[in-house]
Amino acid sequence: MEKKNLIRNGEIVVYVDASLFSRDVVIKSLYWYGDKFHTQVSAEMNAYVVVLKPMANAAIKEEDLGYYLQKFERDIVDFSLREVVNKETTNIRELLVAKAFSNGEFDEAPPGNVSDAVGFDPMSIPINDAR
Amino acid sequence: MAEADVITKNRKFKELGFYDNQENNVYFLLPMRFARLNQEKEVLVNEVGDHLVVREGTFQKIVQRELNKEDDPDLFGDLVANHFISESRIPPLIDVLATRYRTKKAFLNNFTMLHIFVMSLRCEHTCHYCQVSRVTQDKDKFDMSRDHIDKGIDMMLQSPSPHVTMEFQGGEALLAFDNIKYAVERVHLLAGLRNKSVTFVICTNLALVNEEILLYCKEHEILISSSLDGPAFIHNSNRTRPGRNSYELAIKGIELSKRILGPSRVSALMTTTNLSLDYPIEIVEEYYKQGFRNMFLRPISPYGFAVRNERKNKYETDRFLEFYKKALGRILEYNLAGEFFTEDYATIILRKMLTPFPVGYVDLNSPTGCITNVIAFNYDGSIFASDESRMLAEMKDFTFQLGHLDTHSYEEVFYSKRALEIVSTGINESLPGCSDCAFQPYCGADPIQNHATQGDMYGYRPTSSFCQKNMEIIRYLIELMDKDKAIAKIFESWVKSRS
Ligand code: SF4
Repeated sequence: MEKKNLIRNGEIVVYVDASLFSRDVVIKSLYWYGDKFHTQVSAEMNAYVVVLKPMANAAIKEEDLGYYLQKFERDIVDFSLREVVNKETTNIRELLVAKAFSNGEFDEAPPGNVSDAVGFDPMSIPINDAR
Repeated sequence: MAEADVITKNRKFKELGFYDNQENNVYFLLPMRFARLNQEKEVLVNEVGDHLVVREGTFQKIVQRELNKEDDPDLFGDLVANHFISESRIPPLIDVLATRYRTKKAFLNNFTMLHIFVMSLRCEHTCHYCQVSRVTQDKDKFDMSRDHIDKGIDMMLQSPSPHVTMEFQGGEALLAFDNIKYAVERVHLLAGLRNKSVTFVICTNLALVNEEILLYCKEHEILISSSLDGPAFIHNSNRTRPGRNSYELAIKGIELSKRILGPSRVSALMTTTNLSLDYPIEIVEEYYKQGFRNMFLRPISPYGFAVRNERKNKYETDRFLEFYKKALGRILEYNLAGEFFTEDYATIILRKMLTPFPVGYVDLNSPTGCITNVIAFNYDGSIFASDESRMLAEMKDFTFQLGHLDTHSYEEVFYSKRALEIVSTGINESLPGCSDCAFQPYCGADPIQNHATQGDMYGYRPTSSFCQKNMEIIRYLIELMDKDKAIAKIFESWVKSRS
């Protein structure tokens, strides 16, 4: 039977379907709750069970817990989308950084007739030491 | 329809028709991040720091391949042209993107530029927020010796950078003006031999400034960085000295300096205190009245007492953000009325957002600007990773001491294990929280502040006042530009003037 997310005894309990969401996504979402909540996560059959218990000094009212539950549910989805982007773009990102710092050995001329594609000459850039 | 909400950007390379030979919803993702701006909008940021404000839900649509070129041609075109998605597995302009990535990090090319020399710890002020200064006549104990000045100059001139800045700080640097003259003249002798150009800056409260000093500064092209905290009642309450006339002396000094050196060679820095937070409008108007057309709204220094109190830090940052927005609002009013008046912190962030140029600003660099951009030589010859880390040392925390001018060579300081450890904790691309944050290309990393306020150099973003401040200021700046085209134009003019 599917378990419902709930608020119980002043704590938020979330069941995250492990077939849909990864451990990293759960942990990355939880990270941002550690300032206000004691966070706890455990693995059950096909779910991660997340418990968020407000810290005594966090001044979180009982009636605010619904908001945090909703926020956490949304964060899980957001981080899962970010995970897709991260996974799909790992190679291109590595290639980009390698090309950026390679001193030319990975370079090929950009295709087409674009000579000054971004409108400036990178060699003429002043380096600012403002502080 | 969605396209109505998309900010149409210049398509720098090709007309949309160029892409039309592709399947309608086949596309490849490029590295990008997203954040929610408010209830209606979210912002996408790509790997080289371009941003696009879109309607809420767009990121999800893109990732789940629900975007269709036919239904959403404007959005699709913008995403392709701005390198958020590509119609081929490797985008045709990857080399252009790589060049832009390299350019963004070009502030690293020359390594350390700013060299802080703490000429004296002595000061005739007794400001309550200052943790370092001493009211004393004891020059031997609290002034930098000529031997250390020589060694500091020698180390500075070993920097790989063809251009370095030598900044004289205190205490009150002008109490050791003879030594400043000695240092400037020595640098003149040696810099040419090493092919270095050197910019000199004296940081001073101006209480001791006089014509003779300023004529010397004019002759040697020395810049003056002074202090102005706001109107007299704020400035004098922040900066206590016998006679309670710090403000009057500062104003007189600023006027004299501008007259002798020219207005562009005199700047003022504001120290924000609890008292300042109640008077954002008055402080901005004071700067305007004194003829300044830029100002730097700096947060309260986190290096004071009770620095590790998380709740208090959060509360103070909330108050600072409220102050910042009100003050920025007043500055924007001047601009809307036709004046040109900039806020420096916003300008730094906006340059990162709106221009392809590298922006080297110590607090907003990744890798961190300490060591890679700045180094501090303390009055006693000890060497620190930044100005703030020598202040920590006054509180008996020597974590960021990298060595001593008497005993350590350039290599032993800059390539030490400690230096490596500090810099490697200051790379926000790989820090927890930051690595997925949309604002990472605009933000920085500050291991020293993390250590001082949270007890470890990596830091914990949810309770970090550095994170809280930057996240909200960056979000706010994007929101302002999105909501009001007149403000977007003003911001563009701010970054142009400094390019
Ligand atoms: S410090 Fe905060 S705002 Fe800055 S990059 Fe990290 S998470 Fe983002």
